[in-house]
Amino acid sequence: MVVEKQGFCREYIEFLRKRAPNPDIGLDETIKELTPEKIEKTIKAVIGGRSARIKTVLDTCVHCGLCAEACQWYLSNDKDPTYAPVAKMRMTIWEMIKRDGKVDAEFIKQCARIVFTECNICHRCSMYCPFGLDITFIIGMVRRICFLLGVVPQRMMDQDHAHATTLNQVWMSQNDWLDAMQWLEEEAGAGFKNIRIPIDKEGAEVMWLPLGAEPKTGTYHVDRVAKIMHVAGVDWTVPGKDCWDSSNMAMFLRDFVTMQRIVRGLYENAFRLRVRRLALTE
Amino acid sequence: MDFLTSIYNFVRGPFVWITFAVFIGGSIFKLYNLISLAKKEKVVFPFIDWKGALKSILHWLVPFASRNWRKRFVMTTITFLFHICLVVTPIFLLSHNILWYESWGITWWTLPEGVADIMTLIVIIACIAFFIRRIFTPEVRFVSFSSDYLILAIAFFPFLTGFLAYHELILPYKVMVILHILFGEIMLIAIPFTRLGHMFYFFLTRTYMGSNFAHWHTRDW
Repeated sequence: MVVEKQGFCREYIEFLRKRAPNPDIGLDETIKELTPEKIEKTIKAVIGGRSARIKTVLDTCVHCGLCAEACQWYLSNDKDPTYAPVAKMRMTIWEMIKRDGKVDAEFIKQCARIVFTECNICHRCSMYCPFGLDITFIIGMVRRICFLLGVVPQRMMDQDHAHATTLNQVWMSQNDWLDAMQWLEEEAGAGFKNIRIPIDKEGAEVMWLPLGAEPKTGTYHVDRVAKIMHVAGVDWTVPGKDCWDSSNMAMFLRDFVTMQRIVRGLYENAFRLRVRRLALTE
Repeated sequence: MDFLTSIYNFVRGPFVWITFAVFIGGSIFKLYNLISLAKKEKVVFPFIDWKGALKSILHWLVPFASRNWRKRFVMTTITFLFHICLVVTPIFLLSHNILWYESWGITWWTLPEGVADIMTLIVIIACIAFFIRRIFTPEVRFVSFSSDYLILAIAFFPFLTGFLAYHELILPYKVMVILHILFGEIMLIAIPFTRLGHMFYFFLTRTYMGSNFAHWHTRDW
């Protein structure tokens, strides 16, 4: 039994987690490079000049705990109060503001654990809050602080790096993408006559944008979409240039630069091919 | 003029003016500040959807109209009774109306004395219920700070002292009435500067979230 050292809820000893978190290189190793000055500077840069949305949540929340029932983490952990949405704000952003950004690396690691691994940013708490407070926005801001400090679970950081480098989440180059589309077209030809996966067809009606995993590991999805489009007689296309991946993993880290590049790229492809509609997987 | 009378004259005279100036001025200043801050953000004002916002506000103002209100029967009953009585009782109380009438010659519909008494009791009991909930409900206790107990006390004491003054209990009437006026004025002053401001912010936050959910084509109640 390991009790985490959370200095900020020392007086609530019965609420402390009884289980040690899973080890993660992204959290355990990155905090070793943090300095108090760096942490303070980052926190002040993100939430120092209070924006209207942060200010409203902080000034309105009456700590009533009515959001707790909304959270699947709270419900599936035997109503442990530390999983309630408001408790997540209390353990992260309220504490940062109370200590004016002067927190240690261990605290940032706990924040990263809370906002990345115990919250799905699903907005259900906003549906249960009597004031409709945007709690997930606050969680997102804490995620941004953790991201800027580099304290992010390894897998999420890897996906973000993939997006930043190749603009898709599976490290797929443009050659691989085109190749995948072409051999899938050949394969599909075995079942359907004249079936096509049109690449870069200008003026098409629909542009289909898959998830990164589909051309990489779930190729049967591409196959099925091609067959559906063929039978339905839809005038469709897929982009031949980068930015075909409609997933946006950078958004979950609040990596603003990469998430804007992805969305801008998708729309630029749409404008280039003058398509009328975008069809996204999921 | 004895000591008590001079204090009474102060809390009844100049301090009332100060209170209302701070309350009204502070509230307008705070709201203006927040709205002009929100104008700087790219995603607040361009996405306001008045229909969705209005629906959202109405659904959360009506008891048991939203899912979370239905899920928590006791809490919903207490909180609605508390807030209605908290706002309605001071405005429509006979004695307060007489004060308005004496000062400016204006008056309006008043509550019967007995009803007002019960409504005051409801506020007092609801405050105690909130206090008990804060201590004994784990998810609420975990997020309770001294400021939470303070704002509860700010709402509690004007009604307690008012009730005791009306029934002339514990302290002499004059002392109790001075305390009552003082606590009432503290409450009004505190509204713009503490989280009691949720009485105004409710409409702003609901407008924002109601608009968001209208854009996602779903409901937030």
